[in-house]
Amino acid sequence: MAKLLSNSCCSHSSLSTFSSVHNERLCYSGKLIKVLPSVSHFSKWAPRILARIQLTSHFELNSSNGYPLNAVSLQDEGSAANPQAEEPHFPELGEGDSTLSITVVGASGDLAKKKIFPALFALYYEDWLPENFVVFGYSRTKMNDEELRNMISRTLTCRIDQRENCEDKMTQFLKRCFYHSGQYNSEEHFLELDSKLKEKEGGRLSNRLFYLSIPPNIFVDVVRCASTKASSMSGWTRVIVEKPFGRDSESSNELTRSLKQYLTEDQIFRIDHYLGKELVENLSVLRFSNLVFEPLWSRNYIRNVQLIFSEDFGTEGRGGYFDNYGIIRDIMQNHLLQILALFAMETPVSLDAEDIRNEKVKVLRSMGPLQLEDVIVGQYKGHSKGGKSYPGYTDDPTVPKNSITPTFAAAALFINNARWDGVPFLMKAGKALHTRRAEIRVQFRHVPGNLYKRNFGTDLDKATNELVLRVQPDEAIYLKINNKVPGLGMRLDRSDLNLLYKARYPREIPDAYERLLLDAVEGERRLFIRSDELDAAWALFTPLLKELEEKKIAPELYPYGSRGPVGAHYLAAKHNVRWGDLAGDE
Amino acid sequence: MAALSSSKHCCSSSSVYSSSSSFGFHQPQRNIPFPAVSQKRLGSKSVSWQSKCSPSSNVILMQDGALATKKAAIDEAPPSKLKEGLLSVTLPEEHEQPINFNMNADESTVTITVVGASGDLAKKKIFPALFALYYEDCLPEHFTIFGYARSKMTDAELRNIVSRTLTCRIDKRENCSEKMEQFLSRCFYHSGQYDSQQNFVELDKKLKEHEPNFVASSGWKGCKSTFLLIDPTKHIRRCRKICASLSASAAASGWTRVIVEKPFGRDSDSSAALTRALKQYLEEDQIFRIDHYLGKELVENLSVLRFSNLIFEPLWSRQYIRNVQLIFSEDFGTEGRGGYFDHYGIIRDIMQNHLLQILALFAMETPVSLDAEDIRNEKVKVLRSMKTIRIDDVVIGQYKSHTKGGVSYPGYTDDKTVPKDSLTPTFAAAALFIDNARWDGVPFLMKAGKALHNRRAEIRVQFRHVPGNLYNRNFGTDLDRATNELVIRVQPDEAIYLKINNKVPGLGMRLDRSNLNLLYKARYSKEIPDAYERLLLDAIEGERRLFIRSDELDAAWSLFTPVLKELEEKKIIPEYYPYGSRGPVGAHYLAARYNVKWGDIGVDE
Repeated sequence: MAKLLSNSCCSHSSLSTFSSVHNERLCYSGKLIKVLPSVSHFSKWAPRILARIQLTSHFELNSSNGYPLNAVSLQDEGSAANPQAEEPHFPELGEGDSTLSITVVGASGDLAKKKIFPALFALYYEDWLPENFVVFGYSRTKMNDEELRNMISRTLTCRIDQRENCEDKMTQFLKRCFYHSGQYNSEEHFLELDSKLKEKEGGRLSNRLFYLSIPPNIFVDVVRCASTKASSMSGWTRVIVEKPFGRDSESSNELTRSLKQYLTEDQIFRIDHYLGKELVENLSVLRFSNLVFEPLWSRNYIRNVQLIFSEDFGTEGRGGYFDNYGIIRDIMQNHLLQILALFAMETPVSLDAEDIRNEKVKVLRSMGPLQLEDVIVGQYKGHSKGGKSYPGYTDDPTVPKNSITPTFAAAALFINNARWDGVPFLMKAGKALHTRRAEIRVQFRHVPGNLYKRNFGTDLDKATNELVLRVQPDEAIYLKINNKVPGLGMRLDRSDLNLLYKARYPREIPDAYERLLLDAVEGERRLFIRSDELDAAWALFTPLLKELEEKKIAPELYPYGSRGPVGAHYLAAKHNVRWGDLAGDE
Repeated sequence: MAALSSSKHCCSSSSVYSSSSSFGFHQPQRNIPFPAVSQKRLGSKSVSWQSKCSPSSNVILMQDGALATKKAAIDEAPPSKLKEGLLSVTLPEEHEQPINFNMNADESTVTITVVGASGDLAKKKIFPALFALYYEDCLPEHFTIFGYARSKMTDAELRNIVSRTLTCRIDKRENCSEKMEQFLSRCFYHSGQYDSQQNFVELDKKLKEHEPNFVASSGWKGCKSTFLLIDPTKHIRRCRKICASLSASAAASGWTRVIVEKPFGRDSDSSAALTRALKQYLEEDQIFRIDHYLGKELVENLSVLRFSNLIFEPLWSRQYIRNVQLIFSEDFGTEGRGGYFDHYGIIRDIMQNHLLQILALFAMETPVSLDAEDIRNEKVKVLRSMKTIRIDDVVIGQYKSHTKGGVSYPGYTDDKTVPKDSLTPTFAAAALFIDNARWDGVPFLMKAGKALHNRRAEIRVQFRHVPGNLYNRNFGTDLDRATNELVIRVQPDEAIYLKINNKVPGLGMRLDRSNLNLLYKARYSKEIPDAYERLLLDAIEGERRLFIRSDELDAAWSLFTPVLKELEEKKIIPEYYPYGSRGPVGAHYLAARYNVKWGDIGVDE
């Protein structure tokens, strides 16, 4: 691993106390700094780009026949034979002896097309991937390499701030994409894949990453086949798994057990793409690198925390999968709970993945299972507005007519530890609501003995400070403060101390998948979910989910495009909370 | 509450007021003593609106250096009438809207006499501020303004002079010229010597001529008015005469208030002498010592920020704050008007008053209430907890001429009104310490200068570094460079921002300092009123929160007097710095001694 990245290693290598992983990251960021500043700096990198173009011209020659590249061309590309001549500016290019192959299992699926391939391309575009890498698509569909490339190319886009050479880069990227068609449970087919991979690797140290973009029921088959037949013999083999990780404690345990038959814990990368969101990543930075926040981060000052997720569309004809899970499993038990754990954890010993995940697990284990009375569920119904009519959830042909699967849920959770005792953590997630957003809202207590209380009317809690981290859209951090309205007289209002990312950082923010794929490549596990975390998360939700299903609790219906069922307000009121996103001043 | 406020309100003439039942009733809504004020001015929207434009009945006078307020209150306001007035006032919440309400508030008159009406301050600040108040309906229905100065002038001539400096708020240009005319028609002039009782008696007579009108029409009794002073150096002498005549005339009804501008002496002794002299004729609560920095929007907001936001108060101590910086800079020199300045110097002109006042407001303990006396008690406590300033903790500078881009800028001593060998500082930096439980060991750094590279006034609060910061390695070796910092920019471009460490978006983990930002221009479309408007209105309303009490003044002087004496006795030579520069480097060494880095000269500003 260290070798793999050594070429980008800058001057920071002396930071020895960091784990090696961090070292690598730092080095990367050193490189990022150089690239960032401006276009003019960019020219510095031109030699490398040129070099890459030259390299790929070999590619083009070799691959123009439409067949997979042979080993020879790869060796050329690896430039082991003649690195100095081709890249005089990068004499340290020593990674020629390791290769990375990323196999996307389920390559013809939607997620692969929309997220994974574009993320891989973005990483390539920004020079984050090692010099020698190949991308393999694997699925049952019969396709050849060209067809795969064709399919992928439709969804590739270049970052807005770096449109230069976009076409070139795409072509180069696509040249490194290959396809192998096979059954998910056929060891033989994976053996074929293995031999293709070996061809590309050309006998160098090989690292293999499998991305399982497939339905959960075939996870285990694929893992079995891949690990037994297509594991790397020399380097590492890692498997990225997407949710759902089971439906409840038992099925999740079962899955984990099965995976562990073939993989060790540190080979499993359970992805929760919300953890890759910029503002979620920033949460720890905010808390732990700013003196002004940490003293406030407890029940002494925080009145409640709200985790809000809303989508402004429904299942739109694709409710088959969703109906089997529902919004609680789909959003709350994973995304929102993960954010909650990150938010509420104690200060970890270090930023190492294990230290952070240890703290997260502690949070989850300090929580009691959800109580039915602290949850409300909803389901959207058809609605006509402005002559347009929007279908209800059960109008979706892929959804059973009598489905009571929640498309909306709100819940109050409590962490029974010294820091958070009594502070309600409210979650809310829904489909087909009036906006699309994801945010974290922290409402502070009111000022005790407030000198200005006569300016606030009777409800002091309406005028408290509030910290909002808007995860999407339009990433922002803002802190609502009480401020004097300028002018004669003494009128107060709530104004924002505001940081809008768009205004401050002109660079486009990378997609969560880019970060997570890169982390997996680098072996950085901080943002992936460990088995014990997953167990703890399920333990919280399983009893509730069972109860909802056994008692067939009917969801409160809400119109498509509305603000969701009013039950959410009553739930909040019960815990003396007011939803921040539906307040007048938002 | 009503009772409380009325009694408080009636400073000098309390008996008159308290006897009037109507007054007690109406007071709570108007100006006045604090609780009442807070209700109105601090109240909810409709309430605040009311308060803002309260039919206050007072007079102010001012002059180069002083203002006096006078108000005429009336007795028998039929409660019903008042009530009506009130109701009509409690309009919708749009208090910004120019509402023409007919205050039946005509129960009182205010006469504002500007003594030293021909002076610069009067023309540039006071008359425009009065007009702005009038324009925004913040003056009572019946008010008159008198200019008083030695120059011979007619009313028309005064109006002419005044009209040249009047402007309408940008957001309300409608009816501007009409309003101006109405305003000017209420301005009168009386010429006289400042030390002639005779002349003031004449003024008094004229004032009465204007007041009785209302008395006649409304059946209310008019109140008496007041005065004020001019040239600071002659405060005492003038004051004596003026006050004598005033107090005589003001006794009848209503109150008489005197607004005085700095300088309030040159040191402890002269200040004490001035106070003594003023008090021969005036009560403490008739004296309104103005410090116009206290009327700045963001200085007023300082207490709001601290005391109405949970997130700041826990941080407001030595435990979290590493240092506080109070910075004032002007980008011009004395420009041929250094005569007055040379006698005082930047320490007396800016530090001992403006910056020290801000410091006291910043550092005070939570007051019992927002009442003026409570706040001022706390401020005095801060001042009295401070260590006397040692000369080692002061750096002084004086600007010298500088040629840049073909333009040459004169040095301080090139100013014709300044002695060639003047050692008067035009720049000073000082480190102050408050020896109390909250602030022990926290340096409060002040810096003030003329002829610097920019014009600004700001308060910077640098926080400590995060103990055991997980992200240490992202910050390089000097952790103090990456601390949080709260900046309150008083001028120009009022703003509040909090520098936080933030992850630069993107792959990798790079941190930077970004601002959580509140730029007033972007958030509040309304123009921010001039400090003088607020302070004049407060004086009319009897709100003393932003004025300096005698004991505050004493405490302030006792901090600075020893070091000022020493500077003068030892003839300490100021460090010279070029006109338009960032000031003497000595300021950096002073900061370095206390492990501070000036925030305004950092790279990221």
